[in-house]
Amino acid sequence: MKKFLFLMTALVMGFTASAQSLPDVKVENQEGKVVSIKEVVDGTPMIISFWSTTCKPCIMELNAIYSNLDEWLEEANFKVVAVSVDDARSVSRARSMVNNWEGYTCLFDKNQDLKRAMNVSLTPHTFVVDGNGNIVASHSGYTPGSEQKLFEEIKALQ
Amino acid sequence: MKKFLLLISVLALASLASEASAQIKVGNEGQLTVALESNNNYYAKDKTLEEIGLINPDDRTRGNFGSNDYLKVDYRLGRFSAGVQLDGYLPSLYGYDAYEYQQRDSKLTAFVTKYVQWEDQNWGVRLGDIFDQFGNGLIFRSYEDRALAFNNSLAGARAYYNFNNFVNVKVLAGAPRLYDVRSKNLIWGADLSVSISDIIGWYDGMVSVEGSYVGRRQKGIADDFMLSLTGVDGDILNMVSGRANVEYKGISFRGEYAAKLNNDLYNPVLPAAKGNVVSIDLGYNYKRFSASATFRRQENMLTNIELRPLGIGGGNVMNYLPLLTRQHTYSLANLNPYRGSSVHTGGEIGGQIDLYYSIRNPKMRSKYWNFHANFSMFNTIDHEAFGMEMEGRNVWLDFNFDVERQWNKSLKTTFLYSFQRWDEEINHFDSPMAHYCRSHIFVGDVTYKFNKKHSIRVEAQYLASNDYEGDWVAGTIEYNFAPKFSFYVSDMWNCEKMQDAQYGNFFYNSLGDGDHYLLHYYQVGASFTHNSLRAQLSYGRNRAGYVCSGGVCRFQPAYTGVNLSVTLSF
Repeated sequence: MKKFLFLMTALVMGFTASAQSLPDVKVENQEGKVVSIKEVVDGTPMIISFWSTTCKPCIMELNAIYSNLDEWLEEANFKVVAVSVDDARSVSRARSMVNNWEGYTCLFDKNQDLKRAMNVSLTPHTFVVDGNGNIVASHSGYTPGSEQKLFEEIKALQ
Repeated sequence: MKKFLLLISVLALASLASEASAQIKVGNEGQLTVALESNNNYYAKDKTLEEIGLINPDDRTRGNFGSNDYLKVDYRLGRFSAGVQLDGYLPSLYGYDAYEYQQRDSKLTAFVTKYVQWEDQNWGVRLGDIFDQFGNGLIFRSYEDRALAFNNSLAGARAYYNFNNFVNVKVLAGAPRLYDVRSKNLIWGADLSVSISDIIGWYDGMVSVEGSYVGRRQKGIADDFMLSLTGVDGDILNMVSGRANVEYKGISFRGEYAAKLNNDLYNPVLPAAKGNVVSIDLGYNYKRFSASATFRRQENMLTNIELRPLGIGGGNVMNYLPLLTRQHTYSLANLNPYRGSSVHTGGEIGGQIDLYYSIRNPKMRSKYWNFHANFSMFNTIDHEAFGMEMEGRNVWLDFNFDVERQWNKSLKTTFLYSFQRWDEEINHFDSPMAHYCRSHIFVGDVTYKFNKKHSIRVEAQYLASNDYEGDWVAGTIEYNFAPKFSFYVSDMWNCEKMQDAQYGNFFYNSLGDGDHYLLHYYQVGASFTHNSLRAQLSYGRNRAGYVCSGGVCRFQPAYTGVNLSVTLSF
């Protein structure tokens, strides 16, 4: 036990984070085609949000961003990428639900390959990514109002 | 308790470290990422639960502390990546198959998975632990689900080649993980997908066809007298799957047929048999309306990693046959989740329909209505069990309706009604008689934002049921200080006298007829979030029941105690 904790602490303290970029992992797009997550990088900053149909706070967060989107887009140029981690059980439900989020880029990570590659343990988990695909911020969990922090980070990229 | 305090101090240090490290850049050559997840319980004494028999102190064989931990470290340099994951059960939390079925006696268990990978433009190779699935996973899926402590990654090799987006070929082989050991059985497979729309140059929609083959070699069948009696066909099992997918202007069709070509066994009371499954997904999106429907009929398709010994829990599975009912997020709606008749019988037939409709004004994004209705129904198919012929019958039926209203930027309300009817008899005995329980569940949920930082959420639930536990009420109050803190208190109260235990859970059998306990399942908790660090501390009493994740369930025994869960990545 102690060794394990020591190891964890050592790892946490020993390694330092660099500007991480998006991994090259394949996901499905809304049309059902397999694409690389890197294809979403087009010079526009973005919020990448991992969600699932059974994750209430995830849906609350995506709805909160949706509510503010018009106002935010007046101040900053960015896009929202919603990555569903629903597997074969609920992916068809996820495909129906994204209908409400017009303007979002919706991707489907059916075997959680992207979730694993981006070290997402719990959803919701959001990343703020610059126009070159570098991850500049990462947030776990959602409380109403915390979407403001995402917007501030997006504004800092303009 | 000491361990618990030690853990808290280490995590506090870790959070400081993550704060410091985020400011140091080491350039763009290679990237190292670390993710930690730690889920810890301290089990307290609860006299009431012990009196009723919901907790038996003798079952606490591993002491009063449990901890499921995952540490993952990955390194990436251009197209190359490598990683290692350490799973530690120190010891495991109660109620996870991962511990119940492992063969060793040691309290502390660790398991290491690792990989190296090269991802080129049109091809890729991976050596080590592989997570993958063919189609819907009906014949093969290797994945990880920490909520179930499930991980059946294949230790082996995988390669794929993609030809101009027209054709994608994938082959893999390896030995699956079974809890904390590596199975001696070998699984191998190949998957081919052909994009017809890309080949003919049709870009208005998508048409593709796919096919897969999966094999499993069960070691030592010839030497096993008991296995030979069941009619298993020898050591090699072959399975195939064919699929077709079509998408066109908001309409989608995904169909899969898969078959088990040899006599195989997954349930000790059923004879070995071949299997087959048909699965159809239909989707339709038009403006603010969307619908999806799923249908599935399956017979003897659950496929184990190891045939011997059978019945070693939910982790002994190499394919994916999830429950296709709605998974609820409200506690009372989730009190008695459908657990699937396929676990007990040779097969099931059923499906579900979801309808979504939204009223929105594109110019007023902070005001909308969302309506959602869902219906699902599952029957067993005619089968033989315990030497008896049994007719197929309905085992699950539910109807759910919820409406969400965002009134303005501050106020949001949700209302949910759920009707659920299930056959309690088949859940335990696979008896030819049916015994239907019915529940009506009502939920109201209000979120109010005072300003950009402060918000409150209040949830009230009521369940009226004729099952052995009777009626329940539940409530939650949550107060949030965005973006860092959240506090909540909740209570689930079994407000009606329990019925006799005849149709109840096995764990209630010590409860005599007429015993009267109106139990409160209370919780109080707080969470702290800072960037990618999230820590949640809670104390409360937890009901015995099924915890489901991704359509797979595990039984969670009742407990009262403190939980600390932490996730961190950087």
